Amino acid sequence: MPPQWLPKDPQWVNYIKAWNVAPFGRYFFNSFFMAITTTIGEVITSILAAYAFAKMTFFGKNFLFAILLGTLMIPGQMLLIPNYVTITRLGWFDHYEALIIPWLASVFGIFLLRQFFRSIPDELQDAARMDGCSRLRFLWQIVVPLSKPAIMTVALLKFLGSWNAFLWVLIMTNSDKMRTVPVGLTLFSSEVGTAYEQLMAASVLAIIPVLILFFFTQKQFIQGVARTGIK
Amino acid sequence: MMRSWKMLSVGLILVLVFGVLAVADDQVQITFWHAMASRHQPHLQKLVDDFMAENPNITVELIYQGGYGDLQQKINAAVVAGNVPTIAQVYENWVTPIVDILYPIGPSMTDEEKADIIDGLVPSNTYNGILYTVPFNKSIMVFYYRKDLVPTPPTNWEEYLQMAKDLTKDTNDDGTIDLFGTGFRPAANPEQFLNFLEEAGGSILNDDWTEVTINDEAGLEAMEYAASLAPYSLITSSYMSDAFQAGQVCMFIDTSAGYYYNNKAAETAGFEMGVARIPMGPVNQKSMIQGTNLAVFDMNQTQKQKDAAVKLARFLIRAENTVYWAEKGGYQPVTKSAYVTEEWENWIAEHEYQQAMSEQMLDGFAQILHPNYGDMRDIIATMFEEVMLGEATPKQALDNAAEEIEALLE
Repeated sequence: MPPQWLPKDPQWVNYIKAWNVAPFGRYFFNSFFMAITTTIGEVITSILAAYAFAKMTFFGKNFLFAILLGTLMIPGQMLLIPNYVTITRLGWFDHYEALIIPWLASVFGIFLLRQFFRSIPDELQDAARMDGCSRLRFLWQIVVPLSKPAIMTVALLKFLGSWNAFLWVLIMTNSDKMRTVPVGLTLFSSEVGTAYEQLMAASVLAIIPVLILFFFTQKQFIQGVARTGIK
Repeated sequence: MMRSWKMLSVGLILVLVFGVLAVADDQVQITFWHAMASRHQPHLQKLVDDFMAENPNITVELIYQGGYGDLQQKINAAVVAGNVPTIAQVYENWVTPIVDILYPIGPSMTDEEKADIIDGLVPSNTYNGILYTVPFNKSIMVFYYRKDLVPTPPTNWEEYLQMAKDLTKDTNDDGTIDLFGTGFRPAANPEQFLNFLEEAGGSILNDDWTEVTINDEAGLEAMEYAASLAPYSLITSSYMSDAFQAGQVCMFIDTSAGYYYNNKAAETAGFEMGVARIPMGPVNQKSMIQGTNLAVFDMNQTQKQKDAAVKLARFLIRAENTVYWAEKGGYQPVTKSAYVTEEWENWIAEHEYQQAMSEQMLDGFAQILHPNYGDMRDIIATMFEEVMLGEATPKQALDNAAEEIEALLE
């Protein structure tokens, strides 16, 4: 029996019902705010750090990089309680600071860009430096434009990660005005059953922004995946 | 003259200021962490609103903390950081390790109130001999069946097995079974096995938690019975209601809180659903009580907040409120007096399925309070699944599980 693709009697009312279950307007604003700020932040910090690791020489560089990679090995779940305590002591609990500041840098982003920057010939830098170009200007005018696909990949992955972040948001916030869309989505399921019709309606609303973003950045994203081998 | 006016107005201002302060001082705000999803939230909010109307000086802030697993994680984190809620939903085994930072509710209750709690729920809320927590959203494992295929539900284990066998069919003759007599969700719902274990007279541990008893004779009997059902069982990891709606299972054991979803599945699929007590085992017909209790935190709370939270807990188990919660939420009332209220008797009269649930609830058993119960449950789930999928014999699986549970006792 083939599935029926188009419902005979579409239940549009489920969208309204789902929307009214929680302050989804606020959740969407928070999700956007968190995803955009963390994405911009991570791109900036990753570019700067990756440049340092790829193109500069300083004492203990490899050791520092190894430590940085080492942090990737620690499961996030294990850090949840210590992080919670830290966030609480900093007074960030249930504030945007808790949602944004810890996510402004990521080892993964640094690692990805470092590998990409290393493929840019050192001769370019030498020539630029000889002409009196500062490191920062070289970075912004030469390295960044050359690495656009990789940077786009970092940005998109971050945006998706932030958009979908659930446990961190749930743990670090209490009030409705600080919560995000994924937390809202859990409202439709429980241990004994799920209100599928509303969950699906809310999920459609939740993926629309991501879809729109993907349409606009499709080209760069695919290039980025192809060049860096990351999905 | 001017002077006395001044004096008067200063006096008035002072009276006003202190008056406002006195009122403000009387106000108390408490936070209530819960894991109730959208279907239950309006009803919980209504109860809390009623409570605030009755106690205008108390403000209760309901805070949703995701599913039970998320709530537990959050409570654990909050205990370490010191910013706990005033009152929260808790499972029995979550409480055991943190009982020292809880504020016992029992000592502030009247003897009448305490005696009113259903007997089966008292031990699971008692720690070190004190009633620390009170039952809140309680459900019970019951037997669901398709009325069109099962005219009368099985009353004992033999009948259950026989019917499961008779109902299992390959309806389109393609060599694979399309309709299973029964179904199990071992990985997600090991309580289905714990029912059999209890009905066979077995237990996970002995009474003082010094020995593992899951692989004794009764345990083996329970597991062998489960294994005998396996060929006629759909083994799934998703909700039983999904398979029920798809017309793949005829009968299954599930929590009463799932009634809403199971019934919706039956309605969608176009058949009638019945609810009965679980089939009688060799020793008894008890089934497992599930759902959470309410705990009040002692840590970093003012006496006023603790008093307010205790008041709320007592309010929620009051007969009319536990009945309201049961009717709207699909839970079972938690006090004896609730079962004899006119409201509840009418409800049962109008809702046939509720009769079996109520009877089963009054003959239920609770989860053990061991702090490592969560891990034990995972071990039992794995073992149960292995047996139901035919990957291990009942004896092997039980012995392995017993060994793993043993390691959790230290």
